[in-house]
Amino acid sequence: MEKILLLAFTETDGTLGKPGLEVLSAALKIREGLAGAELVVGLVGAKVGPAAGQIVGCSPSRILGVEGEHFSQSRYGTDAAAAEAICKAAEATIILAAGTARANRVLSGVAHRLQGNADTHVCGVDVADGALKVTRWYYRQRMQAVLQRSSRPWVIICDPSSFAPWTGSSRDDAFEAVAVPVPDSMRTTVTGTQAPASGAQTIRPDTEVLFVAGAGWTKSQADGKVKVNEAEPLILGFLDLTKASLGGSKSMVDLAGEGQQVLSFMTHLNQIGQTGATPRHPKGLATCCHGEEPHAVGWRFINERRAINKDPNCGWAQGKADVLYVEDAFAVMARVNELLKESK
Amino acid sequence: MSGGYHIVVCGGIVPDPLQTLEPAVGPTGPALRNEMMLPAVLDPWAGHALFEAANLAKSQPGSKVWWVSMGPKAKLQQLMMSMGQKVPFELVALDGSASGFTESAEVAAALAEAISSIPDLDQSRLLLIGGWESASRGAGSTLQIVGERLGIVDQFQGVDEVSVQEDGSLKLLERVEGGKHQISVCTAPPIVVGWATGKLPEPPNNPQIGMMNMRTVMPALQRAKAVQVGTGSLNFVSVRLPEQRRSTRIVKDATVEEIAQEIVEWIKD
Amino acid sequence: MNPVTEIERQSFDVDIVCVGFGPAAGGFLTTLSRELLNEDGTPRYESKVMPGMPLQISCYERADDIAFGVSGVATRARGIRESLPEFNHNDISMAAPIKHEKVLYLLDPIGASRRPASLKVADRLLGLLKWLPFYERDAFELPYIPPFLRKDGGYVLSIGQFLQWVGSNLMGSGTVTIWPGTPVASPLIEDDVVRGVRLIDQGVEKDGTPTAGFMPGMDVRAALTVVSDGPVGAVGRQLDEHFGLPEGNHQSEWAVGAKMVVDLREDVKLEPGTIFHSMGYPEPEIFGFMYAHSEQTVSVGIFVPSWFNNPARTSYRYLQHFMMHPYFWKYLEGGKLRSWGAKSLQESGKRGEPFLVGDGYARVGEGSGSTNVLSGSGVDEAWTTGRILAESVMEMLDQGESFTRENLEKRYVQRRRASWVEQEGRVAEKSRDGFQKSFVKGLMGMALSGFSNGRINISGNSHSGRQELPSAEAYYQGKIPAEEVRKIREDCKSRGTPSHDPLMDRAGWPQIPLDGQLLVSQQDALLMGGKVQAAPGYADHVVFLHPEFCESCGDKVCVDICSGQAIEADPDSGVRFDREKCVHCGACFWNCDQIVDDSGRTNIEFRAGAGGLHSAEN
Repeated sequence: MEKILLLAFTETDGTLGKPGLEVLSAALKIREGLAGAELVVGLVGAKVGPAAGQIVGCSPSRILGVEGEHFSQSRYGTDAAAAEAICKAAEATIILAAGTARANRVLSGVAHRLQGNADTHVCGVDVADGALKVTRWYYRQRMQAVLQRSSRPWVIICDPSSFAPWTGSSRDDAFEAVAVPVPDSMRTTVTGTQAPASGAQTIRPDTEVLFVAGAGWTKSQADGKVKVNEAEPLILGFLDLTKASLGGSKSMVDLAGEGQQVLSFMTHLNQIGQTGATPRHPKGLATCCHGEEPHAVGWRFINERRAINKDPNCGWAQGKADVLYVEDAFAVMARVNELLKESK
Repeated sequence: MSGGYHIVVCGGIVPDPLQTLEPAVGPTGPALRNEMMLPAVLDPWAGHALFEAANLAKSQPGSKVWWVSMGPKAKLQQLMMSMGQKVPFELVALDGSASGFTESAEVAAALAEAISSIPDLDQSRLLLIGGWESASRGAGSTLQIVGERLGIVDQFQGVDEVSVQEDGSLKLLERVEGGKHQISVCTAPPIVVGWATGKLPEPPNNPQIGMMNMRTVMPALQRAKAVQVGTGSLNFVSVRLPEQRRSTRIVKDATVEEIAQEIVEWIKD
Repeated sequence: MNPVTEIERQSFDVDIVCVGFGPAAGGFLTTLSRELLNEDGTPRYESKVMPGMPLQISCYERADDIAFGVSGVATRARGIRESLPEFNHNDISMAAPIKHEKVLYLLDPIGASRRPASLKVADRLLGLLKWLPFYERDAFELPYIPPFLRKDGGYVLSIGQFLQWVGSNLMGSGTVTIWPGTPVASPLIEDDVVRGVRLIDQGVEKDGTPTAGFMPGMDVRAALTVVSDGPVGAVGRQLDEHFGLPEGNHQSEWAVGAKMVVDLREDVKLEPGTIFHSMGYPEPEIFGFMYAHSEQTVSVGIFVPSWFNNPARTSYRYLQHFMMHPYFWKYLEGGKLRSWGAKSLQESGKRGEPFLVGDGYARVGEGSGSTNVLSGSGVDEAWTTGRILAESVMEMLDQGESFTRENLEKRYVQRRRASWVEQEGRVAEKSRDGFQKSFVKGLMGMALSGFSNGRINISGNSHSGRQELPSAEAYYQGKIPAEEVRKIREDCKSRGTPSHDPLMDRAGWPQIPLDGQLLVSQQDALLMGGKVQAAPGYADHVVFLHPEFCESCGDKVCVDICSGQAIEADPDSGVRFDREKCVHCGACFWNCDQIVDDSGRTNIEFRAGAGGLHSAEN
């Protein structure tokens, strides 16, 4: 009989964030599918009470918590100790967690401490014939595998946005505190965070639209001229009006070293595709992109995809986008921005 | 720090990202079609880790870089021909699978054992560095487990910057949600660092570095220990290429105005 | 002064430096490496530059991997097998012993090719013979293959996989080092003595301006420089410019070879080791091939020669039409493009031979005129010249001789003159001259030269100068009105696109039905099959010497022939080059018809450059 543990790190206010609620949906699906399985929730953070109340409606058999100042920091030493203690206290055989930066940092190591195994970047779970299967990608989103594990404990770390967040009733509720031995001297201290420079454009997972800028923006246009100076305000204008995420291909962030004109605001943090991110957004608009696999993996997880490109045979769009507009992106985006401004 | 760091870089090989990849059934589980024919490159993030390690070693006198790499010996040898000219290192080679389908815990066990066997490695000066994920398994697990096996509990993932502060402590910038970096300070080694991209460009090819490295690379390859790593407790139910074909509506003859309106409506929908 | 330009150029010494890792270097290094150790494992020769150490031998290869070569290879492999007695094709992916050989004459099932009247008559006559067993799907199989064309006992190879295997063995021997991703900019010539080579600058902008990461290309000094950088290699051609060619020799005949590696659909039965050679289609001047490797995979390709006088010549689209010829389409339909590439071939062969040696250097391989233009064979010949040089070098090391021109003449050149490469090269020397007059005379000339062992040849117009191309209007005369040709060309020029597509469309070639699998646009071929990449930090290697010539150039053959569509017409500067698309085939410089000096040099300089194809299967 499986004992499922939902392991989550709470937000600064003690609540459970969206990624945690998403994985709770997955945990409930597994509990439902595996006969006799029970669900335990384990929470780690500066405080965990609000989160405990938030999820009590899913009827966990236990809610375990580790809280305190030490656990306010997203830090390997304390997080791993807390996660290990909760997993042991829960006697969990299947441990589910959201793949936040904090969880991803520690949970494979924790799996080792538990003499178990971890699978990260899981994007689907399924139970069939009494057996749990998970789905994850290999080779930078080039192929998808369905996996089972014969050993326990099995730590399953799910990519954010893979499941619909759980919604259910909440009420104040208590949790069982789990004691965690904290070393006398912690060598690592988290001193804060550093936000991108003001106005910098990055991939923001919470936005509706991903705007993908392809190398075409920096190439010679129909009249033989390079028009980066015109491209930049068009792209920034669109991002400003829509609050979209900005992604770009590797060549867009690499070309600077070659003395080629580049979009000044593109950095490696914007890189999507083979060696960059594969963000998840409901919509994606690709402009001036060209390429086949592996270049197009950058928008593998974009639900609705549209592209503007002058080549109707473009490999980025053909068979991969829902709509391909064969037109000059400079002209279209200029008009799109005008219309967006008018409608504000 | 006085005496410099002992920097161990874990970096494996992956198929050249430009290649067409297809899954196939191998004798021990999933594999890539024509896997041995695919040109191999250093895993991109491990590459950043190696270059950053070399840069750090250069700025901290007395430091030394070991590069621990597991892959089929012939492929490792080929990789050394291109990477050997980039930065100085001493190779520790393991002759084993470079497949992404192997169990990261098994790979980690082999790497940890190889690192433990490096003569004169001083754990109190150890910076264990690698890519935060690979371009093959893409799990971000291996380095953590190597760290655990070596008893290192100061671990950082998605790192874009490591700097040595005046008091000898290490300041690290890790990628976190929202395009931000978390700043941490660790008083001293040993630490584990999973690199993201950092800021350094790929170093130029330097034939002199190549000739120098080759004196240790070839003997290291010759004595590379054969390592068996498998899929452990993993059972691959299926491995397949994603269904990619969408029926693309191609809008060829619309005006800019019509296209712009359609896009704006779609965005606002 | 910009501080980055003050960075000192470094220099270091080796005993032997080898430029380019292809079949010739493979033959040289393999033969040499086997003799560098005594039986007890101690070095047989001591390094002069590093006393106490074994001989220091370095080979620098331009491409990013030693397996990124391009060639369609069906080879007799005589020299290769002699050098490698343990050669087993099972050790090399995609290698297969040649089992069946077919030579085909292809009819034009579309009626779009430009066939001379004599050929049209011949086609009509052949049309009456369709009942013969030699006829199948618009192709006649030659019932008899002349011995000089046969590849009995040979192998189908992927040059990439073969070189990877050779290179791995070499590196594994620990006696030589091979460095891919390291283009050699130039030879170091001092008082007519070659003292080594200079590697290309790194950390520069496209125009060569140093950036913050500037690293001047190092000088690698060596007692012997082995030049094995192929037909368009920068070092070989600079030596030719410096020393000239031997009296009477010239390198005016070229071809661009384009090929695809294709995975056949599952139900196609084609025995590994089956090879096809063809002529007659898509244009009479274009020869083709298809070689079956192991495992349901073929190489299929064409050669577009310099004597095909269409100024809007292209290899990519013609290759697609060739593949769609009914004879080959039966096999290829439903297949999948795995890899794609192109290279220049030095088709002057023996007649294009440069000075094989000089003080401090020796030439091997295709750039040394070893290609046999009659048998259409180059890999084994190149390998063998490398092997001959290695044997000569060992003799010289044993005798303590220095690498002077005189000593290299005595040891290497004499040995090469006595070799089968030389003897067969002489037979082939004039065999293709007939093609300068017509396709039919060309074929007759090949047969005569081949059967007479080179004693009887059809004379042609082979000359040292570059062949003049007619205007596109003249080429398409009778097919497209001159005014329309002009309009199409001007339209393309203003859009920066090559003109071959609209011209071929208008001349009756059907559009290629792109399927996203095998028939893909040329741009997609760069990404799917060519996998072209260019790392930043290197200067452009295609340089237009006098931009004003390009501005006024009407034909812009470079734009049409460019295998990667890396050269585009530019309304302002005439043409522009995009390094990210270049496959380094080198076709641009010999197709340029803007001659800049009396030596016949064209306005395009093809320098050493980094990047290019990332495919190990070609």
